[in-house]
Formats: sequence, structure tokens, C-alpha cells
Amino acid sequence: MGSLFRSAEMTLCQLFLQSEAAYACVSELGELGLVQFRDLNPDVNAFQRKFVNEVRRCDEMERKLRYLEKEIKKDGIPMLDTGENPEAPQPREMIDLEATFEKLENELREVNQNAEALKRNFLELTELKQILRKTQVFFDEHEGGVNPTESMTRALISEDSIARQGALGPVQLGFPEKSIDPEEFFPCFVAGVILRERIPAFERMLWRACRGNVFLRQAEIETPLEDPSTSDQVFKSVFIIFFQGDQLKTRVKKICEGFRATLYPCPEAPADRREMAMGVMTRIEDLNTVLGQTQDHRHRVLVAAAKNIKNWFVKVRKIKAIYHTLNLFNLDVTQKCLIAECWVPVLDLETIQLALRRGTERSGSSVPPILNRMETCEEPPTYNHTNKFTSAFQALIDSYGVASYREMNPAPYTIITFPFLFAVMFGDMGHGLIMALFGGWMVLKEKQLASKKSDSEIWTIFFGGRYIIFLMGLFSVYTGLIYNDIFSKSVNIFGSKWMVNKNWTFENVRNEESWMLDPAKTYEFEQVPYPIGLDPVWQMAKNKIIFQNAYKMKISIILGVFHMLFGVSMSLWNNLYFKNKLDIICQFVPQVIFLCFLFLYMVLLMFIKWVSYAATNDPGLLKSSPYCAPSILITFINMVLFKPSKVPLGCDDEMFAGQMVIQKLLVVCALICVPWMLLAKPIIIMRNQKKLSYSLSHQQMQSAATENGDASVGATDQQPMQNATQVSAGHGGEDEMTEMFIHQGIHTIEYVLGSVSHTASYLRLWALSLAHAQLSDVLWNMVLSKGLIVEDWRGGVALYVIFTFWACLTVSILVLMEGLSAFLHTLRLHWVEFQSKFYAGLGHAFQPFSFEVILDTASAPVEE
Amino acid sequence: MKGCLFNIDGGYLEGLCRGFKCGILKQADYLNLVQCETLEDLKLHLQGTDYGAFLANEPSPLAVSTIDDKLREKLVIEFQHLRNHAVEPLSTFLDFITYSYMIDNIILLITGTLHQRPISELIPKCHPLGSFEQMEAIHVAATPAELYNAVLVDTPLAPFFVDCISEQDLDEMNIEIIRNTLYKAYLEAFFSFCKDIGGTTADCMCEILAFEADRRAIIITINSFGTELSKDDRAKLYPRCGKLNPDGLAALARAEDYDQVKAVAEYYAEYSKLFEGAGNNPGDKTLEDKFFEHEVRLNVNAFLQQFHFGVFYSYLKLKEQECRNIVWISECVAQKHRTKIDNYIPIF
Repeated sequence: MGSLFRSAEMTLCQLFLQSEAAYACVSELGELGLVQFRDLNPDVNAFQRKFVNEVRRCDEMERKLRYLEKEIKKDGIPMLDTGENPEAPQPREMIDLEATFEKLENELREVNQNAEALKRNFLELTELKQILRKTQVFFDEHEGGVNPTESMTRALISEDSIARQGALGPVQLGFPEKSIDPEEFFPCFVAGVILRERIPAFERMLWRACRGNVFLRQAEIETPLEDPSTSDQVFKSVFIIFFQGDQLKTRVKKICEGFRATLYPCPEAPADRREMAMGVMTRIEDLNTVLGQTQDHRHRVLVAAAKNIKNWFVKVRKIKAIYHTLNLFNLDVTQKCLIAECWVPVLDLETIQLALRRGTERSGSSVPPILNRMETCEEPPTYNHTNKFTSAFQALIDSYGVASYREMNPAPYTIITFPFLFAVMFGDMGHGLIMALFGGWMVLKEKQLASKKSDSEIWTIFFGGRYIIFLMGLFSVYTGLIYNDIFSKSVNIFGSKWMVNKNWTFENVRNEESWMLDPAKTYEFEQVPYPIGLDPVWQMAKNKIIFQNAYKMKISIILGVFHMLFGVSMSLWNNLYFKNKLDIICQFVPQVIFLCFLFLYMVLLMFIKWVSYAATNDPGLLKSSPYCAPSILITFINMVLFKPSKVPLGCDDEMFAGQMVIQKLLVVCALICVPWMLLAKPIIIMRNQKKLSYSLSHQQMQSAATENGDASVGATDQQPMQNATQVSAGHGGEDEMTEMFIHQGIHTIEYVLGSVSHTASYLRLWALSLAHAQLSDVLWNMVLSKGLIVEDWRGGVALYVIFTFWACLTVSILVLMEGLSAFLHTLRLHWVEFQSKFYAGLGHAFQPFSFEVILDTASAPVEE
Repeated sequence: MKGCLFNIDGGYLEGLCRGFKCGILKQADYLNLVQCETLEDLKLHLQGTDYGAFLANEPSPLAVSTIDDKLREKLVIEFQHLRNHAVEPLSTFLDFITYSYMIDNIILLITGTLHQRPISELIPKCHPLGSFEQMEAIHVAATPAELYNAVLVDTPLAPFFVDCISEQDLDEMNIEIIRNTLYKAYLEAFFSFCKDIGGTTADCMCEILAFEADRRAIIITINSFGTELSKDDRAKLYPRCGKLNPDGLAALARAEDYDQVKAVAEYYAEYSKLFEGAGNNPGDKTLEDKFFEHEVRLNVNAFLQQFHFGVFYSYLKLKEQECRNIVWISECVAQKHRTKIDNYIPIF
């Protein structure tokens, strides 16, 4: 198999489908999702393709479905999503579907139209009711006024103008002179309803257009009314305008019309009004029952549709996808069959054949489809089989660049190295546990969570990486155990191997600032290490950071060098697979030598130092005491600079016998590798080409000779042709040669300098780990420990509050933010430090024709 | 530094506008559109462009007017989005752009009421960018003075209208005069506003507005032949911010027929070119189209510079031209009148 380590082997196939069977076959292939079709008519416009009519019909059906869906959503009817996946219906069923949708849509439109008309009616009646009620107040205010015999409206106006003379707004300003002479003043009025926000402009306009000769009163309708056409809730106001004369009347009416105010007849006499109000009330009641019935009917129609709508959507989208795919095919001259070209994974050919056969059977066609493998010089697409576990890791790799075809795929190694390197930076049992629990919860509840599609982008990202998060959490727990760190505290599981001098008294401990423990003394250190991880005593030590730095820095470099070496060795597999002998000799070998002789040697020195120096007070063992232990970094720098290291008095200047000689040898060898990498490959290629062109010209002379009447022309005929093309490439390739030199130069520089900088770059493992530990330490000391000092019952309260604060900060800063930063650094270590050693990432992804993908993307925008 | 300051307020919107501009149809799209057999084909092709599914919810069969409405709706939504996010002085600039639509709407409504059309029939024909609150009550007014006092006083157009109050009543001729006076005042105000903004905006916009002014002057002159408009009145309608000002306008004021207008244009390199190829014979492009082409060229040029407001104006104008093109093509397709289908004006 090995498909986890490399992308699947692909082949270009030609597919002959009988026109009747094509639909069923493509439908089967869509369910399978293993075939990527190529567009065989890229020059043809979208609307000139063969199945454009069917696509259009599907569009139309989709539109109707969308309309239905909108209506269903408006009524808040739950749409049944059984999650079932109906097969793409036969083309002949399309007509049924179309008819069903057409019927539903028409029915719904009719119902809606009726409902709208009814609602409009209802709205008008309600508005009229409101007018009658509100204007009643206007009229009532002046009942029993100064002159009850007079017409009530007139009374209103004179009263009003007297009462409010010059009080409110410009509207009243016009009245004083007018109302002086009530005899020739027969005011008429109009009453209506207008949108509340238009009132100010309406009032101003009235004032201006009628020169202040009108009087407007308005009252707000408290309850919002429903706009029948948009079914929005709108606020309106009742107004009543008093004016005099016909000219003003037309003018006022025009303005009302302009501001979309609806006018209603309003009788002057109170008795008439009362009667009218009664009539309106009964009509409203009647209307209410009718409206209720219409709503019920609409509801029934929609509920019936809601049961099936998801199913229908799937069906229509499948049909559409199939016709879209059929549009990519070529038509045979005889119009009898369709020709498709597609990329398929070689291993799945069998399954595809089966699917095709199923498709043929379903369509009842007798001629089986033909699947031919084709030779091609095109680069096949990269297809990595993934499952739900590996897909997230593969996505990490692919976001850097899709692997070239059949290149080594770093994803399987990433599954382990990624969480591990992350954990080195995030080492804390507590934080790791939180993360692991979160990841574990997502993994456990996978099915429920996946079916609940969420629009939140952040959640989608988290959920997509649930396995990564889970693993990162677990690994962090492990590294936390090694660092012996849980929320910046240590746990003493096995009992510390350090102890304080037996003969201490309470006083002298109190008086001492600090207490020095000497590992050389057997009564202070048991001389056996703590079974796993760091001894908890370090948690209290003053030199904790110094100690941890030395330890973590070394660990980082060791991990880094091995990670990079692993990357370089991957390039060997690539070269072996692509039979690139030249690259093995001219690139892989010097690269390995360079890395091993310099950096692996440094790692080796670390181990030597750890093994051969130990704490001791014995003067006889001075040479292996901490006093003589050399600094690895200085030793390494001296080694590269060919300088002897300075040692303190009485120490060996070598860590092991012959160190100086070996070091010089190593450096020289490593340096030789540089020109080797730089020049060997281009020179060998150049020489090969020269040889080739030489032998070619030789051959040409020979063949020229043989051509004269020799029989073997046919055999040699093709060779020179081939060679000629090669040579012309070679000759025209003077530029190519320089390009190759430059390319190789860049590559070499990148590798040599990269080795140094990448090694240093792995120090981020230490740096982030340090930062994380310090931050959590600070959080403990500055926040939570404050809650622990308070005594008696108040301590409980204080701790209760402070713990909330501390917990929030821990999760938000230490787990989320630090986790994100560690994640990004890990990502960089993989993309840059690791993958640059072997990964080209120049491929293009395999995009199979799959209903699953199509349905997912299609339903996404609808969910918005 | 200038870019820095510009980008504080205008950077996002300029970026957005340039993004919108990239969605303008290319020559290749037009070549495809022209091949369409039915409006359904057209819809299908437009789906492949930046317009996306803007017609997806329209039941077939499609009408040209639906396409027109939808195109305009999309443009208006984009413009409103820009306007809603704009701050001073860009917001005023964008408002200025809408004033020209307001003028058109007012004139449309007045002419409509003059011909006894109900206002409800006219309102949908108004350009949504130029709608204002008092617009629908415009038929209250019977004279320009009333129009001003009752309706326009509260609108931003009020200062432009001051010159028109003296007109006696609203007949066809006066409406045209009002339109042109309003437009003249508007253009001059817009021109000086852009001048005040200064910088690249001024460079860019003044060029475009100057052309706009000159085009109006020329068109007014040509249209006035054979009407009762006197030469003096005509001269009053010329916007005085173009390149023709003052000598060219003076000459135009004296012109009596088309050839004399042409002769005036001869003095100006860019306009003489437009007159050269223009004609009413079949095969020739009309002068109007030539003007449109020139306008498109100017507007495309506005995108060559950065950090200025001209792109918003140009984008709107280019998009309008595109709408005209699509509507033209769909008209031709709908009426099966393919001979003139190529008379659209490509933008890129």
C-alpha cells in the first residue's frame, strides 16, 4: 500500500459512455467520489454546452425550492433533516419533481396573495379603527366647549387656537387671524394614517405648501402594524388635518399621496362615527376568522413541504451536478456515446468499474461502458487517502503546499512530531489536561457536533482540528510530567531525592536567607535521580531557571538536530523513488555529512558531558567534576574556528582522547561538502550533455553513411530524431546551464546557512517553554496565591472570587493564547525547518467529482 | 505620507471600490454575451461573472426590464454601502454624486405630472440613488417658485435652484431650462468642491467634470437648433467649468448650425477627434456614443492614480455604462435585432 507515505498512484483514463447510460454512470461515480473529470470543451461557452437546458431547469427548480424554504423559515416551521442521502433521481423523474414544485409554488403564491389582500384589508380596517378612536379624543376635548351649538370642528379649532396660540410649532401660527371670523370659515378635514418617521417632513411640507393655512393634529398608534407586502412591523401615526376650501383640499390630498399616507373617511357627527366604529369592529372580527383560516391553510401547505424540502434540495443539486459534469464531456461523432477524460487512482479502478457497471444496469443499457487507461505526460494530481483522523494533519501540510505527485508525504510523521514539539513548548500537566479534555470531548461528541453545522468560523477550525488538539493535550500532559509542572507547581509523587541537613533547627532555617544543597554530599542528595521527570525540589530552588534553561536548551537542540536529520533522510527516499542517483550523490550525501559532522557531533558532546561529569567533592576526581565541565557552546564555536579551548587550572583540555584532531577532521570534511553540493551536480550534468552531443554528432555521421542504400535505416531513424530534440534543448540551454548553477548556488547557500539558523531556530522550543512556565508562575504568584494568604472565613470568600479570576486568565491566556502561539511556532518548525529539507510541494490537489462535497458547499451559503 | 493620511479614512473604501471595479465586465465577457441566443443564456453567462446569482431568484421568462432593475439594484447597494461607511469629506463627495440623480428625478416627475401621469406610475422609474423624502409630493407645485418653496427648500438641491425661481410656469421648455440651469449650478458647485479638496482628487475629478460640462454645453447647443430658445438664454445654460470656458463657450453661443459647433470643437484637440468619426449614417457612431467612449476613457484613467476620490465617481459611471451595455445587448437579444448588437461601449 504505502499510500499513507505517498500520494496515491493516479492514471488518466478515457471513458466511453453510451448516451443513455451516461447519466446513471455519472451519478454512481458522484456517489463514489473518486474521479476527477477534465473539461474537454474549455473553449465552449457555458450556455452553448449540450446539457445547458437541463442545468437551467435545475436552476429553476432550485429557485422554487429556495422560495419554499424562505416561506418555511418565515413561519418558523422546523425543516426535517433526516440526514438521509437520496440517490440522484432518474432524468424522467425530473418532470415529476418540476410539476410538484410548480404546483407547490403556485399554491403558495396564491395563498400568499390572498393572505396579503386580506392583511391589507385588515390593516386598513385597523387603521380606520385607530383613526376613529384617536380622533374621538380630538373631538372630545372640545365637547361642551364655548359654543356647543356650533359645529364641533369649528369649536375645536377656535378653542384650540385660543388655547394654544403661538404655543407649539409653526402649525398654529396661521390661525389667529383666521379664527377671528368664524362665520365664513367652514373647515373641512381629512384623517389618515402615516408612517411615524415621515411625520416631521410631512408637517413641514404641509406648512410650506399651504402657507400655514392648515392645522394638523396627530397621535401615535402604540401597537406596531404589519405591513402586508413585506410583513414588517411598522409604527404609524394617526393624523387629522383641518383646512378650508377646495383648492387646499386637493393640495393636501396630493401631499398625503406623496407621503404615502392613507386617507380614510371620517364622519363629522359623533353618532355616525360611533356607528362606523361598530361596523368596523364587526368587520375586523370577521376578517380575523378568515385570516386565521388562510394562515392555517398556508401552514398546512408549508408543513407538508418542510418534510421533504431537504430531500428535494439534495435531489435537485445532484441532478444539477450530474449535468454540469456531463457538460464537460465530448460528444462522439455518431452522437451515440459521450467521451470523458478523468483522473482516477489506480487502486480504485476496480471499484470504479463496478460503479460503472451498476450505472449501466440501472439505466438498462446493454452496452457496457469502456474505461481505457491513457498515456500522458501531464503531471497527475496528488491524492492522499485520508480518514477523519489524518485529514486534519494532511490539511496542515497541504496549507503549505500540496505535495508533488508521489512525493514523500510528511503528514504521517507530523501526526506524532507535531503534538510532541507543541508539547515541548506547552509542557504543563494542568493546561495540557484542559486541552486534552476539550479535544476529547469534541472527539467523543463528534457525531452530534458534526451534524450541528455551525457558522462560527472559529468553532469550525477548532472542530476540524479536534484530533490535533486532543493529541497536543495528551502530549502536553506527558511533557508536563517530565518538567514536573502543573499550573506552575510541582507534585512530589515519588518523594524528592534531596533532603536538608539532618541537624537543622527551626531557628537557623528561619534565619537563613537560603539553604545551599550540595549534590556531592550524600546526606543532602541520595545519589539516585528522581524516577521520572524533574525532581520537585527544583520548584523551590533559587537557581531553578538557570538549571531548567541549561536542560531545555540542550533538549531543544537535540530534538531539532534529529528532526532535521530525519527530514534530510526523507529526501533519500524521494530520490530513491524517483531514481535520482545524481541527487543522492551530489546532494543527499554531502547534506548528511554536513549536518552530522557539525551538529550531530555537538549533540554527541552534550551526551558526553552528561555522562562523564558528575558532582563530586573528591579532589582525585577533579577532572570529572563540575569544575572542569566545559561549555558545549564555547567548545563548538572553538571547534569551528580551529581554536584550542581554554580550560581552568588542573583540567584536561579535551573531553575525550583525540578530541582536537577529530574535531578538525570533522570541520574540514564538513567544509568540503559545501563545494561538493555547490558544483558537483551542475558539472556532471554539463559533462553528460557534452558527451551526449558528441556521441550524437558521431551517430549522425554514421547514419548519414548508412543511409546510402543500407537497410537498417528504419531502426536508427527514430533515435537521431529523439536525440536531436534533446540536443537542441541542450544547446539552447546555455541559459539553462547558468540558471542551473544559480539554482544550485541558492540551494547550497540555503542549506548551509539554513543548517545553522534552523538549529538555532529550534531554540524556540526552549524559549516558549520558558515563557509559558514563567507566565503561569506569575499568574499563580500574583493572582491565586493572594487568595490563599487571607485567613479565617474571609479567605474562603476571597479565594472564591480570586479563583474565578485566575481560572479565566489561565484558560484565556495560558491555554488559548499560549496554545495558539505554540501551535504557530510548531507549524513553522514543520513547514520551514523540517519540510525544507525534502518537500517540494508543487503538486495540485485531486478534486474528485463527489456529491458529498458538492452538497456540503451548496448548503453552506443557504445556512447563512 | 499623503497615502498614509488618505488611508486613515478612505483606504478601506478605496480598496473596496477598486475591488468592485475588478468585477466590471471585460471585453471577453462582452464577446460571450453578444453570442447569446436568449436572455436565459445571458443570465447563465452573467452568473459566471462578478454578478453571480443576482438573477437566480427571478422566475423565467426574464424581461429586459427585470435585468435592468436588478443591475441597477446591485449598483445601488454597492454605492450605498460605500456611502454608509464614508466620513467627511468623502461622504459629501458621494452625496454630490447623488445630486445629479436627484435632478434627473425631479425633472422626470415634473414632466410626468405635466403629462397627467399618476405619480405612482412615475416613482418606480426614478433612480433610487436620487430619491429624497419630499420627492413623491412634487406634483403639488405648479410653478418653479412653488417648487422651490414647498419641495426643494429642504433638499440639498436648494442652492442650485435659486436661479430658476424667476421662470414663470412649468411647461416643456421651461422644464428643460430648469434642468440645464440646475445641472449647470450643480456641476459648477461640484467642480469647485473638488477644487477645494485639492490634490489628486482635484486633478482627476476636474478633468472628468470639465468634460462633463463641455459635453453638456455642446449638446445643449446642438439640441437648441430649431427651437425657440434664444442665443442669450442658451449661453446662460452653459456650465462654466469646462475647457471650453470662456472662448469656446462664447463661440458656441454664436453657433447657428451643427457645422459651426464642429468648427468650434476643432480648436480643442480632444473634442475635434470626437466630432471626426461621428455621424448619423449607418455604420457611423453617433456623437453621443463618441462622448460616452471618451467619458469611459477618462473614468478608466481615474483608476491609474491612487489616494483620491475620483475612483468612486468613476466606478459609478463605468458601472452605469456597463448597465447600459448589458441592457442594450439584452434588448438586441430579446428583439432578435442582432445587427446593432455590437454598438455597446467596452470598458476594459
